[in-house]
Amino acid sequence: MTTYATLEDIENCMDNGWTDGLPVIPPYGSLVDAMLEAMGWQGSDSVGEIPDQNIVVRAEKAAATAVMAGCKTEYGPLLRALTEGLLDPKLNLSGVEVTTGGAAVLVIVSGPVVEQLGFEHETNALGANCRANATVGRFAQMMRYFCGRGGGVLQSHGTIGHPGRLSFCIAEHPKTEWGAYHTQYGLPETASAISLMSTEGPNSVNNHYGDTGTHILDTIGDALCHAGQTAWYYRSGGFVVVIPPDHMALVAKDFSREQALEYIYKHARRQTDELAELGRIAKNPIEFAEVAPGELRSPLKSREQLTFIECGSSGGRFSAIIPRWVGSTHAVCREIKSV
Amino acid sequence: MTKATTNGPVYNPPAEQLTSCGDVSCELLVDPIPRPAPEAITVSLRPKVAKVTFVDHHKPNSRIIMEYTQSVLRKRGIEVEGEIFIKADASTRMPAAMLQSLSQERGLILCGISD
Repeated sequence: MTTYATLEDIENCMDNGWTDGLPVIPPYGSLVDAMLEAMGWQGSDSVGEIPDQNIVVRAEKAAATAVMAGCKTEYGPLLRALTEGLLDPKLNLSGVEVTTGGAAVLVIVSGPVVEQLGFEHETNALGANCRANATVGRFAQMMRYFCGRGGGVLQSHGTIGHPGRLSFCIAEHPKTEWGAYHTQYGLPETASAISLMSTEGPNSVNNHYGDTGTHILDTIGDALCHAGQTAWYYRSGGFVVVIPPDHMALVAKDFSREQALEYIYKHARRQTDELAELGRIAKNPIEFAEVAPGELRSPLKSREQLTFIECGSSGGRFSAIIPRWVGSTHAVCREIKSV
Repeated sequence: MTKATTNGPVYNPPAEQLTSCGDVSCELLVDPIPRPAPEAITVSLRPKVAKVTFVDHHKPNSRIIMEYTQSVLRKRGIEVEGEIFIKADASTRMPAAMLQSLSQERGLILCGISD
């Protein structure tokens, strides 16, 4: 049995930049080898590229990061799909890391894998004290931090950031009213999947006394339309709407997912001129922004930018919206396959 | 890596190699950080000629600010490139051809106006 100088190694990692700011499991070769096997890769396998930074990411890097984040080897197939998703050029990992927007990578886990790996999908679902949520979310942020900086060349410029930059992983209820989250990206209901997008922090949406689905959706729509939403100008990101059971019981009685989407898209709007007066629209708007003075403006450029996830515990009437980063032009959804 | 100092945090690049030493032997820890190969380009902060070129990366109002800056610089007798180059999207890196072209400029290049 190998004896490691563990505390000394943790401090060594912390002092030399191999950390996200929290103590890490030191990436000993034997641990990394076991993680590689669980992910189904050889250490030298290329698992993705960041061409703009001249970086080829080898499997060994992802496995070392998974070890450091505290992931179990049984998460291997999920981590493989997650790694491939993180390095999908559509996610724009370097952009997420260096933007003034202070975005994090949101990981959404859905399907049978939620129960199989023991993800928390009820109590404190957006910040669960559960190893699966905490370490998988941390792995994604560490990959963003380690890969997105171009090997230490680039620096973050996040103005305020948010706590999700340490870990941000949400698991959906295994049984849902409207179908699994990943069905919104075309995967079958029975699949297990991870979905990734870069986001700001969640905004709580409270409504304790509304007694119809319309009351809840109007409250959510109002939260989408506060003056400070980043979305108002470019509208290139979108939102994730989080609906826990008590609100869902009201909404699902009156709306299908498609109807709720249509309702919010139609009603959640704000007067463009008021936004311009407040300084939320550029003085000389670019064509892409599609600014129409005098008209009501949606924070969404298209309906597809709004998705719904069902998670959280019963007993409280709180929903949430999670604004996607303005540069989050694409979400990435990957099926988790056995290795 | 960030270290706190009396003047605030200072960023140092992460180490490329760390070793774990026990009582009888040492082993390398696996470096988790992908590195650029070949190494990333470097930027000279000292222009060779007194000329300013602007690149608009489409942040709100950036063009207005750049045009105003151009007029101020011209009044002060500083040569300014007439064309404001355009990078279509602030959130992604500039196209390789544009980067290659700008790398030949010998003056100061101001790329983008922050939010």
